Amino acid sequence: MSPYGRAGRGAQAPPPQDVKKKKLKAKVGLAQKPQMVEIEVPEIELPVWDLDAKLKIVGKAAPRIEGSEKVTGQAKYTLDYTPLDLPGLLYAEVLRSPYAHARVTSIDASRAAALDGVKAVMLIAKGAGFDASNALLDVVAEGPVLHPADREVIAEGEEVAVVAAVSEAIAEDALELIDVKYERLSHVVDYEDARKPNAPLVHPGTSSNVIPADPSTAGDIAKGFAEADVTIERNLRVPVLLHNCAEPHAAVARWEGPKLTVWASTQGINDFRDDLAKAFKMDKADIRVITQHMGGGFGSKFGMQNYGALAALMARQAKAPVKLAYDRHEENQVGGNRPNATMWIKIGAKKDGTLTALQCRAYGTAGVGRDAAVTNVMGIVYKCPNRKLEDSDVYTNAGTGLPMRAPGFPQGSFAIESAMDDLADELKMDPLELRRKNMVDLPLLALDEMYTIGAEKIGWSRRAGMGPKMDSPIKRGIGMGTAVWPNYSGPPAVSRVTIAPDGSVESAMAVQDLGTGTWSIMAMVTAEELGIPLEAVKVTLGDTRLELNAPASGGSVTALSITPAIRLAAADARRKLFDKVAPAFQAKPEDLVCEDGKISVRGRPGPALTWKEATAKLSAPVSGHGERLPNVEPYGGLPLWGAQFAEVEVDTETGLVRVVKVVAVHEAGRVINPATFEAQIHGGVMMGLGLALLEKRFMDKPEGRVINPNLEDYKMIGPEELPEIETVIVEPITPMNNVGGKGIGEPCTVPTAAAVANAVAHALGVRVAELPLTPDRILDALAAKKEA
Amino acid sequence: MPKNKNGKQKMSRRKFLKTASGAVAVGLLAKHAPRAKASATKSQSLGPGQVEIKLNVNGKDRVLKVEPRVTLVEALRERLGLTGTKRTCDHGECGACTVLLDGRAVCSCMTLAVNAQGKKIITIEGLAQGKLLARLQKAFVQHGAMQCGFCTSGMIMSLQALLDQHPKATSAQIRTAIAGNYCRCGALPNILKAANAVARA
Repeated sequence: MSPYGRAGRGAQAPPPQDVKKKKLKAKVGLAQKPQMVEIEVPEIELPVWDLDAKLKIVGKAAPRIEGSEKVTGQAKYTLDYTPLDLPGLLYAEVLRSPYAHARVTSIDASRAAALDGVKAVMLIAKGAGFDASNALLDVVAEGPVLHPADREVIAEGEEVAVVAAVSEAIAEDALELIDVKYERLSHVVDYEDARKPNAPLVHPGTSSNVIPADPSTAGDIAKGFAEADVTIERNLRVPVLLHNCAEPHAAVARWEGPKLTVWASTQGINDFRDDLAKAFKMDKADIRVITQHMGGGFGSKFGMQNYGALAALMARQAKAPVKLAYDRHEENQVGGNRPNATMWIKIGAKKDGTLTALQCRAYGTAGVGRDAAVTNVMGIVYKCPNRKLEDSDVYTNAGTGLPMRAPGFPQGSFAIESAMDDLADELKMDPLELRRKNMVDLPLLALDEMYTIGAEKIGWSRRAGMGPKMDSPIKRGIGMGTAVWPNYSGPPAVSRVTIAPDGSVESAMAVQDLGTGTWSIMAMVTAEELGIPLEAVKVTLGDTRLELNAPASGGSVTALSITPAIRLAAADARRKLFDKVAPAFQAKPEDLVCEDGKISVRGRPGPALTWKEATAKLSAPVSGHGERLPNVEPYGGLPLWGAQFAEVEVDTETGLVRVVKVVAVHEAGRVINPATFEAQIHGGVMMGLGLALLEKRFMDKPEGRVINPNLEDYKMIGPEELPEIETVIVEPITPMNNVGGKGIGEPCTVPTAAAVANAVAHALGVRVAELPLTPDRILDALAAKKEA
Repeated sequence: MPKNKNGKQKMSRRKFLKTASGAVAVGLLAKHAPRAKASATKSQSLGPGQVEIKLNVNGKDRVLKVEPRVTLVEALRERLGLTGTKRTCDHGECGACTVLLDGRAVCSCMTLAVNAQGKKIITIEGLAQGKLLARLQKAFVQHGAMQCGFCTSGMIMSLQALLDQHPKATSAQIRTAIAGNYCRCGALPNILKAANAVARA
């Protein structure tokens, strides 16, 4: 199951029945180590873009096709809808609980409703049957009630009332006129406190804040440790992180009679629409969700959530379009966060480094929500026959956790990679050799090659001259970690490619671009398949009205869920075009080819038609249809791999860590656009550096509030901290889909913090067990080492 | 003191600006008439209610009615439809709302619209000449200096202010110029590449 839930639903798609199959050969793997494989695919499938494929557009770095819209301020985001676009647009503001746990004893909004310019006021109550795992949806699942009796709020920022007014300022004024009386109840925001027997209960009706672990096991853990010559045990911690997407959660809703249109900053327009249909008991066909451009999600914007529901509810009540956007403070109270974790890890190995046992017990808090799991990465990153992995959720009175770029993996990676390095120390073995020794056995794995490239680029051999023995207060170190992320790409994804008589081509799908480069790869794959220039293709996306289903963008699924379907649609459209132009060549349609925008008969020299001459023979546009076929197994089950190396400088007098360089070596099978692929890696690495060095949500324990819900006190990597990032792309082509590729969004952030932490441990000769690696922790670790 | 919507017993940004605007107006007036007596500035109080203001945006005068507490970013976006200027924090912490005010890069969320009168305001929409992109804009596209694009306008405006003053800005100056602009997607390496390409051209 994907940690993104529906985002990775492709993996759960039922296999199609009674599909006629054919056998195809493909030359896959690395160019320097090619392998011929035979795969069985549905009759309609195209040959894989394998090592022999001669591609002209795919694989060549191309600027974003939406680039000029973005640099001129013309790209339209949800937040950019104004009364000039939607006359009468109202602004909604939400009154939120200032307390982490309280009962609303009385609420009076009459003064707010009477304020000039206020068009709607709504009080919110929780529905019956509160489902903690779905805390966000539940608030509105039962609809609004006007007089919530004994309303209990269980986290700071929980919605209490909403106002829609003609300006933001008036809506804010109105919030101040709502009289709410709260009876404060005891709360707990610290997950260690929440585990104590007498802790206040976060969810009324439960008996404990701790959800027991459901262990994932392999082999015999006791036997594994008995067989080990050396064991290492560590306790490691990571903090709660905040997504802080640039564009906040925002929705603009407009009703036209029974029909609803919502512009939303969302990672999944189709799921957003489905959630609205469920909440408002409407036919999906009566709802349209639009996302043309969106300012980042990183996992925090799946589904309708409260911002979507409240915008639609307020628009209905006010009988006018409504814009509802979180401000930065709200964003960091209720817009999601990455759960923290305490990880006790124990690994055992033979003298030669072979792992015999791996055990981890972890717990963390996703606030009032669930899914703080961090051990999944440990089950797949290295080969170990005996494993026992346990994750336990702890409820606290804080905003719900939501998936954040590779949920659970960067945290778990920090634990296992730290343990691996400390094990290597104990075994007096090179840490990289220890990894090589324990690589998993999987087809087409190019990890060994990635280790070699990364080690060379970072200068791994220089490690010997680094570390605490260096004759300077500033010590250097080099560390590394392995990137891994499961493949969740797959069906469903439906594409339509339309060729018009004027030669223009439209590639359409109801998918969204979070900023990853979806606009461009849709155009590139369409142009490549048709044999025409990139500029000839126009992309249409981000609108559920297209009725061309696509997955939510998360879990690294988008590129390789959608592009194989686009190829099929383009090929279908081309077939229809060739049917029309074949008579002009006195040839069969299947003998025609299009290359570089010229159509000719395969193998026959002679006159060719230009693309426009050919399309001019169409009396009307022709559309091709393509559906994403299931992944070809066993390749579809193979993870996405990479390796990252970091070099650091640590000032042992001030405790300051400076990352000098990161080398990020990644594979994703066939890379469609190396420019946006590399950009993804930059982003993943920078987020990982934030986890390593700076980022942490602080809670005020007595008051139960987020202390740093802003961009001043929540520190992220900026230009002053940015190290050199060298990216290396390795391309072991996969036959799992017709494009030959996988994905990149998440694996590139998995091992960064671990690599930095290992580099710091190498520099200091002591392990700093908690992220971020702030100066105080560095100095404490050095002091503890001195004492020992 | 009133509670804001998060229940904090402190002044909201908007209220702060509202209260402070009188003082800022005094400051502005003093700049234009340095020898004027303090008493002469006391009549400078605006509102409550809407007041007519004139803003010079991208070379054009725009007349609009706003409450004195309306910030420049709100006036540009919600009233004039110039939504290329983004808003993500509203506290001068993210730089996404950066515009040029008489050539200086300022956070338009920390500037009241009434106080931007009489100054030349340049927004991201005012950089390109027709379809011809400005050099920085072109470099941003070429070097892939954006991902989601939400920070892009602010980045470009901050860098434009720098390059207008220092056409050959150093790499260190470039980093400093955007130290107040945040980007969550991780476009920074390519942003630096794009800005350096323009400064070295």
